[in-house]
Amino acid sequence: MKIAWKEMKKSKAKFLILGSIIFLVSFLTFIISGLANGLSQDNAALIKDLPDGQFYLSKDADSTYNLSKIDEEVQKQILIDNPNATAFSVQMGFVNDAEDKQHSVAFVASTESKLFENVKDGEIVLDSSLKEDGIEVGDVLTNNQFSGEFIVKGFVEQQKYSHAPVAFIGMTNYQEIYRVMEMQTIFIPGKDAPTLSALDSFSNKEFLHAIPSYSAEQMSLNMIVWFLVIISGMLFAIFFYMMNVQKIGLYGILKAIGMKTISLFKMIWYQMLVITAISLVLSIALSQAFSFVTPEGMPFHLTMDTVWMLSAVFMTVGFIGATISGIQVKKIEPLQAIQQGEM
Amino acid sequence: MSVFTIDHVKKTFTNGEIEEEILKGVNLSLKEGEITALIGPSGSGKSTILTIAAGLQRASGGEILFEGKDMTKMSQEEIRHVRATDFGFVFQSSHLVPFLTVEEQLQLMLDVAETKTSKKEQAKAIDEMLKLVEMQHRKDAYPSSLSGGERQRVAIARAIIHRPKILFADEPTASLDTKRSKGVMELLQELTRTLHLTTLMVTHDEEMLRYVDRVITMRDGYIVE
Repeated sequence: MKIAWKEMKKSKAKFLILGSIIFLVSFLTFIISGLANGLSQDNAALIKDLPDGQFYLSKDADSTYNLSKIDEEVQKQILIDNPNATAFSVQMGFVNDAEDKQHSVAFVASTESKLFENVKDGEIVLDSSLKEDGIEVGDVLTNNQFSGEFIVKGFVEQQKYSHAPVAFIGMTNYQEIYRVMEMQTIFIPGKDAPTLSALDSFSNKEFLHAIPSYSAEQMSLNMIVWFLVIISGMLFAIFFYMMNVQKIGLYGILKAIGMKTISLFKMIWYQMLVITAISLVLSIALSQAFSFVTPEGMPFHLTMDTVWMLSAVFMTVGFIGATISGIQVKKIEPLQAIQQGEM
Repeated sequence: MSVFTIDHVKKTFTNGEIEEEILKGVNLSLKEGEITALIGPSGSGKSTILTIAAGLQRASGGEILFEGKDMTKMSQEEIRHVRATDFGFVFQSSHLVPFLTVEEQLQLMLDVAETKTSKKEQAKAIDEMLKLVEMQHRKDAYPSSLSGGERQRVAIARAIIHRPKILFADEPTASLDTKRSKGVMELLQELTRTLHLTTLMVTHDEEMLRYVDRVITMRDGYIVE
């Protein structure tokens, strides 16, 4: 590997250019991925942040959350049978502040639960993004469909639904606003949640797709991210391939003096590994730093799981590109390689 | 005594539907401690027979016997092993590794040849070889900072540092002026004698023939004298 390292040291500019291309491409992929994840969080953080479990919708809802209404008697029995179960509803709406300015929110009402904010009637707990609109603890908010007033009792972090801040309210208040007595869904946390014959059940992932617009939005975003990953991957592979094909004359000389093919492969892989690793470390660091400087309104959420997964993809395609060029080097006779290098 | 025998070797290149026979049955044997020069006009096949003999490309027919084994029947790996341990090759334009210093070029060859000597012994061998080719003062220099003559001296040192049995040289003086060409040939002559090498070289410069023991002339893919 000494020879591979010596080449990198001597031809700094060439490897720096290649490394910076890999850095920029991977950084772009991380940023786009972070923005896509951010939008996804912005759309359904309320649901995504719940622990693994089962969601239940009424059978006639046709797997669409908005159409689900759970019969009060059925709900009552389920809550008795499953002490951890929570019935809840989420509906889009507005609150008016003291200056009668409207703020779009997603009202959430639930039965008593550790998973949601438990608020009394006449109280409201809001997502902290509404602080930017000047709302403070103790403010009084109103709603056109609600006869009473809401007193702001506090704020919660990162609770969004359908790109709107969540507003936790009491069940009675919710029933008055939406003129409905039934809750839309029941959630039972845990892996061994029961199958309920009266209701359709959904895993967390399946339930996200029951939210209108979530699937369509996620499919578009995932398509963008994966196209970018594929294009970046191909770029990686092509760059490593081109770099090694350009050096075919050198490999010819090394073959001519009797260097083993496996040593040539190790040289190619070592350089690929070093360049890709350094570029990825830099782009991971910068993309994490980016999350601290993003404007408040810009949803950006890049998890380390995503970072490792994308890094593994880049490493794999880099390896494939380098190996393909290595196979080219393996096949060619030394003299032919030297002559090609001279052209 | 013959250490290397080329027996009725042929080489045919195919270009589309056209087949061109470059070597039409070449017979040649090399004797230990001798420098044999291959001469002939361009296209006569002298470089082709040299590179086939050195295992840098395959023959289309015939036999190449080295130490009782037919190289034409060897696997790629066996040929590579012969190239790494028993052969040395000096190219027309030196073909040094551009990112290695003079000293590192020789170290690389020792590593490739997998010489079982210690690092200390290897360093001593490199020092001696650089002294022999009078390049000790440039041991830390990169090829780009060497003159043509110096590069060729390093290329010769690299070709013989692992003590090969046969040295192949393809027009080693082609890119040098007369003075430097003479220097390189004197060096090849001295090394062949002192290290008991067997050297086969291609040249187009008749001036250099006074340094060789035997001259073989090729024309149109045949040996003519």
